[in-house]
Amino acid sequence: MIRAVEEIFFTAFIGSVMLAALFIAKDWPVRASIIILSLGGIAVILTIVQLTADYKALRHQGAAAVRPAFEVQPLEHTGRWGSLEIWAWLWGLFFAIHLIGFPVALPLFVFLYIKVYGGSWWTAVVLAALTWGFLHGIYDYLLHVPWPKPLISWFQ
Amino acid sequence: MLEAALAGLIGVVQPEAFMFMCLGVLIGSLVGFLPGIGGPSTLAIMLPFVMTMQDPLLVIALLVGMDAVGNTASAFTSILISVPGSSGSQATILDGHPMAKNGEAARALSASFVASLLGGIFGALVLFASLPILRPLVLSFSSPEFFILTLWGVSMVGILSGNAPVKGLLAGIVGVFISTVGLDAKSGVERFAFNVSYFWEGIDLVLVALGIFAIPEVIDLAGRKGTIAKAEEFGHGFLQGVIDCFRHWWLLLRTSIIGVWVGFLPGLGSSVADWFAYAHAVQTEKNRQNFGKGDVRGVIASEGCNNAKEGGDYIPTLAFGIPGGTSSALVLTAFIAVGIKPGPDMLTSQLNLTFAVIWTLAIANIIATALCMVFARPIAKICFMPFYAIVPPIVAFVFIGAFAANFHTYDLTALMIFSSLGFFMRRYGWPRAPLVLGMVLGDKMELYLWLSYTRYGFDWLTRPAVLALVALLIVSILYPLLTARARKKEARPLPLEA
Repeated sequence: MIRAVEEIFFTAFIGSVMLAALFIAKDWPVRASIIILSLGGIAVILTIVQLTADYKALRHQGAAAVRPAFEVQPLEHTGRWGSLEIWAWLWGLFFAIHLIGFPVALPLFVFLYIKVYGGSWWTAVVLAALTWGFLHGIYDYLLHVPWPKPLISWFQ
Repeated sequence: MLEAALAGLIGVVQPEAFMFMCLGVLIGSLVGFLPGIGGPSTLAIMLPFVMTMQDPLLVIALLVGMDAVGNTASAFTSILISVPGSSGSQATILDGHPMAKNGEAARALSASFVASLLGGIFGALVLFASLPILRPLVLSFSSPEFFILTLWGVSMVGILSGNAPVKGLLAGIVGVFISTVGLDAKSGVERFAFNVSYFWEGIDLVLVALGIFAIPEVIDLAGRKGTIAKAEEFGHGFLQGVIDCFRHWWLLLRTSIIGVWVGFLPGLGSSVADWFAYAHAVQTEKNRQNFGKGDVRGVIASEGCNNAKEGGDYIPTLAFGIPGGTSSALVLTAFIAVGIKPGPDMLTSQLNLTFAVIWTLAIANIIATALCMVFARPIAKICFMPFYAIVPPIVAFVFIGAFAANFHTYDLTALMIFSSLGFFMRRYGWPRAPLVLGMVLGDKMELYLWLSYTRYGFDWLTRPAVLALVALLIVSILYPLLTARARKKEARPLPLEA
């Protein structure tokens, strides 16, 4: 039931993005808006069709709404907590990169992730070192990548 | 044509290109046998690195080599631990894993490798044979026909790449819309940039591909947390598997043809090809009582088909610039970035590059099969790596790859936004391939539509070729929708009589 409601919200979100795009593009010259106006109308109709289907699925206890797409491998259900956990890691890495910079954040992330989930010290240290080596070897030494300056200046 | 074929061969066997091809084969194989990391995710991760390369031959050697062999090594996990290494090896599980349980893992593996090799070479041969037919056809097309073709490509992928056609079509349109973001050089209009200079150059496809494909796969892998089963016995009968392939050559040929056809049709990816082939084998073979219990023919059908598909996939990609699936869409992006122009040029001025693709497909399959055969036992052990050793390096690669798109911290923000979009799309059963394809084809679609409109007004809609293609487009859209509806009606239980 909750899943079916979530689906409706997601479809509505996509539909509203399309509508907003159409609204913004309507004042542009034809050259700039031709493709948006041509496909935008179709998109709005398709959104309405999809919303109707989602609503019907909701009324029938969401049976049809949870069908996995063909392109996706059938995977074991992991529950929402599993996804939240990895999302926390990803956002943590995102903020860590901004705070302490790429060269420190990435090996640290690799090390911590392996250790938190029960990996051996050896695996954690080796993979963190490999990440650090890859970062410095390829990006610093060969490509001279301009890493963004971290917010905490001590790590520069 | 012979000269171009020779030039293509010389191009890919020169030491540097050959080295890159071997690297591509290694990466493709590695990705293939690590469950949860799909070929498209890896191609997306590779894009930022590849786009800095200057030589198109090296890009072809690396990416096509990588793309060609992903399904070969994926048989390892399908057979040994009943987890498909890639979406193209799902049907292999049905007979491959029971064979492993029966102590015939070695036989199943060797049969799958040889079937993959022969299927892959067959796909390359069909691609080669199709060139003389495609050349006049492609050269007779102009902007209206190409516009309808691009529209057809996105629509087909939208409809067929998932079992949610409306969602697929919408995803394709979202992709086209994303491709319009930025400063439009022709009209000078700032499209969906909201006065943020970062958006002026447009949104990099690398960011979208990484966010849409790589991160959701990582989330899945991390969520499953070491659910990979215990290893089965490696068993005996390695040579028997090779013999099996030649004994069932007719089945292998038929399923390879299915693979090429599925690859040629935009939208039907590996995940469909192997099931079609398996279903065909079950329907047409004699003594079918062993299918599903460890019949080597099930493995041969599935594996021969999924590698043959790659050759078919490159036919519309190279000839029309319309990729048949996600992987070829990403390869196409890299091609364009390094100056390869898919479309008529690939059949005229850049014919040697087309042949380089064909040769790479064939040679990469041979290398991958040899690698898999020789290192089957040690590779089988690596299959059982825990998730915590796989997830963090991939995440690190993804973040580095995203930053390398523009060397801007906003790239990371964009990555997180598209990752969220990809996650929700996957969660709610929205096919993601059409979005990427829409983004890849968006520019072309817009250009062809504009050219058609300025050259012919609305008269382009009445051109015979356009009308034929529009009819094809409508049939392509309506047929799957109507058959799905009919199937649903059939499946509905009859009301009980009073």
